Amino acid sequence: MKNKKNVILISLAGLYIFGLFLWCVLKPADEFSLTERRKLAQKPELTMETVLNGSFTSKFDTYSADQFPLRETFRTVNSFVSLYVLQRGDVNDIYVAKGYASKLEPEIHQDSVDWGLNRLQFILDKYVTDNKVVFAMVPDKNYYLAKQNGYPYLDYASFAQAFEKGLAGRTQIVDLTDTVTLNDYYRTDTHWSQDKLVPAVDKLGEALGVSVDKSYETRQAEAPFYGVYYGQSALPLPADTIKYLTNDKVNGFKVTCFDTGKGVEMPVYDLEKTTDKDPYEMFLGGPKALITIENPAADNGRHLILFRDSFGSSLAPLLATGYEKVTLVDIRYLSPAMVGRMVDFEGADVLFLYSVSVLNNCTGQFIK
Amino acid sequence: MFYFLPIFLIVYLLAPRGMKNGALFLGSLFFYAWGEPKYVLLMIAEIAVIYLLGLVVEKYRGKPLAKAAAALAIVGSLCVLGVYKYADFFIGGVNHIVGVEWKPLQLALPIGISFYTFQMISYVVDVYRGTVKAQKNPISLGAYVAMFPQLIAGPIVRYQDIEIGLRERKLSVDKTAKGITRFAVGLGKKVILANSLGEIVALYGAAEEKTVLLSWIYAFAVSLQLYFDFSGYSDMAIGLGHILGFTFPENFDHPFESRSVTEFWRRWHMTLGTWFRDYLYIPMGGNRVGAARHILNILVVWMATGLWHGASMNFVLWGLYFGILLLVEKYFLAGLLKKSKVISHIYLSFLVLISFVLFSDTSLSNVGTAIANLFGIGVKGANAAGLYCLRNYGGVLLAALVGATSLPKLAVTRFFETNLGKLLSGALEILFVLAIFVTCTAFLVNGSYNPFLYFRF
Repeated sequence: MKNKKNVILISLAGLYIFGLFLWCVLKPADEFSLTERRKLAQKPELTMETVLNGSFTSKFDTYSADQFPLRETFRTVNSFVSLYVLQRGDVNDIYVAKGYASKLEPEIHQDSVDWGLNRLQFILDKYVTDNKVVFAMVPDKNYYLAKQNGYPYLDYASFAQAFEKGLAGRTQIVDLTDTVTLNDYYRTDTHWSQDKLVPAVDKLGEALGVSVDKSYETRQAEAPFYGVYYGQSALPLPADTIKYLTNDKVNGFKVTCFDTGKGVEMPVYDLEKTTDKDPYEMFLGGPKALITIENPAADNGRHLILFRDSFGSSLAPLLATGYEKVTLVDIRYLSPAMVGRMVDFEGADVLFLYSVSVLNNCTGQFIK
Repeated sequence: MFYFLPIFLIVYLLAPRGMKNGALFLGSLFFYAWGEPKYVLLMIAEIAVIYLLGLVVEKYRGKPLAKAAAALAIVGSLCVLGVYKYADFFIGGVNHIVGVEWKPLQLALPIGISFYTFQMISYVVDVYRGTVKAQKNPISLGAYVAMFPQLIAGPIVRYQDIEIGLRERKLSVDKTAKGITRFAVGLGKKVILANSLGEIVALYGAAEEKTVLLSWIYAFAVSLQLYFDFSGYSDMAIGLGHILGFTFPENFDHPFESRSVTEFWRRWHMTLGTWFRDYLYIPMGGNRVGAARHILNILVVWMATGLWHGASMNFVLWGLYFGILLLVEKYFLAGLLKKSKVISHIYLSFLVLISFVLFSDTSLSNVGTAIANLFGIGVKGANAAGLYCLRNYGGVLLAALVGATSLPKLAVTRFFETNLGKLLSGALEILFVLAIFVTCTAFLVNGSYNPFLYFRF
């Protein structure tokens, strides 16, 4: 009986080790992890130099972990054991509360706050004269989830105060926390859902002194949306749905991207991207340094320059219903010092719209 | 685990009996070269020298030449260890004391050098003492010194422990199954518990605000991490030893259940403790000398024990800390500690926690602050980060605390004695091993925090 047990144990353990070894050797290497949205390590070059300096072995270790068979399944096992056996509160810094996944970020990075203020003040000093200027901060999901569910939380009051103090007398501050709720965010992603943004856009429009549309047709992308936290947590969270708003004005927008130096027209909503690696990039094509939205239906001569991050991509089309032209600038890809060569500030409104997570991590992101 | 181990096992199992030591030696060199390609030649050279000196010692046993050869082997091995591990510590000390500016050598430490140096010394000394015969086959001696399962983290296997095994060992189904289960236990200890505890240690290091709560969590975490990391590697080594046909000595015996420092060191890193006893303490006279000399012997041995763990002042102090405690127990506390189980456990736990706080940071200033923080000096009681740390890692800490005792083993033994247990024991053992394999694979694939604590040894 004992001998039979031992034979089965050796056979199964051997099958596991040798089976995975063969699978590791025979499995073709994947280029990209869709769930983690990153390139996977490839087999390192084997030379005498790479062996002797140790880089081959260290890169091979990374490669073997990245290319491991059933990698996603094993990552899910890791998350389950961490959360439900070891009773961890988070996995890979992602926690799930009230059905929403969010990333822990409890500490204020003072160097980032200082650098963010430095860049905004630079823009104000260099380009802004008698323009109307508004600053608004997009709260992250932690604002609604962390403290309420016993997770470490960022001191939002201090964080907001730091920017209010730094921009005092130069901008009008708009608090969006009363226009956005937890339900307005995707469950599996960091971003907000465009179909819930009308109150926030209305409040911003009011501060900027423009009338924005409130009536839209809601459409939704066919493909399920698995957001960035879905991949990072490796938990089997239900998919989100990307909903987007449109009306006659939005349909008439002319969107031009200047990232290549020449103006290239692009759609407001690129539905092909909903099946790509980051479906949220359907809004204005994802990360772009400089985009303009021209609205032929508005002939009020109003121009808005929107300094923004990815949250602005879904909000800008709605705000553009009140402007003849909106210029979106992302200073993570375009130096503030260069903006004046491409954007005319004369008579334009200026809106700084940044998420808390970008402002708290902008050191090295906002270009000098 | 999924590349080296299967390839090695195929080669090893297919190798004829006379070539198994060769397969083991080559496999071990490859394993070593994977982490340290440059130092393979150093290791081979040391093995060659020890092999030749071992033959000389045996041939001229009882004559001055044997003594000289043994001394040369010991001094030579210690010199190599000294150059690679302690030279910069020594240079730093001289610079500090004398005020000169000698440049540090900045040599990378060969992995496992402390372990294999001690194994080589024990081999030569045992040949000199006549306890064992010199190994005639250099490949077999190479297989002993470089043996990969215990090369980097012990246990310190003496030549006499595996002399017969090197000559004639049998692979068996029973031993292999036992080895697989033991390997799985060690793997789980290292990958699931020690690495998770290591995250707490890293979190404490990065915390902007230390509190009393966070400091105590750290003290528990760092102590348990060291235990599970170290004993996990030992379990894996012992398990692999079984699979390869050897029997390695035990290295840990639930040390946190001890009731005195003396008992703790009989249960913690047992092969190191017995090595120092047999090759340093007893040759120095042990306790068969006057009280003053005995105290000196103890302090020298424990200072050496501390230094063996690392070339830094905190390790020296850590060794002396235990040396002094052992003396205090021997001369003053021995009777008192026997009176109350509870108090003696608290006494031991407290002293061991403090010792591992000292062990885990080479900056004495940081150690001082960390110990002061434990008692609330200059810090507040708790903050949100500390409370979340407790919530986030409470399960890990609890599992580690229970796992560090003999309770799980006792519970399993009791259950397997019941009728149901007898019926299910085989299936449960298989399920346990597979569950550990799958979970550890998952943790490794996820790229969990995977520190390697043994670079400095």
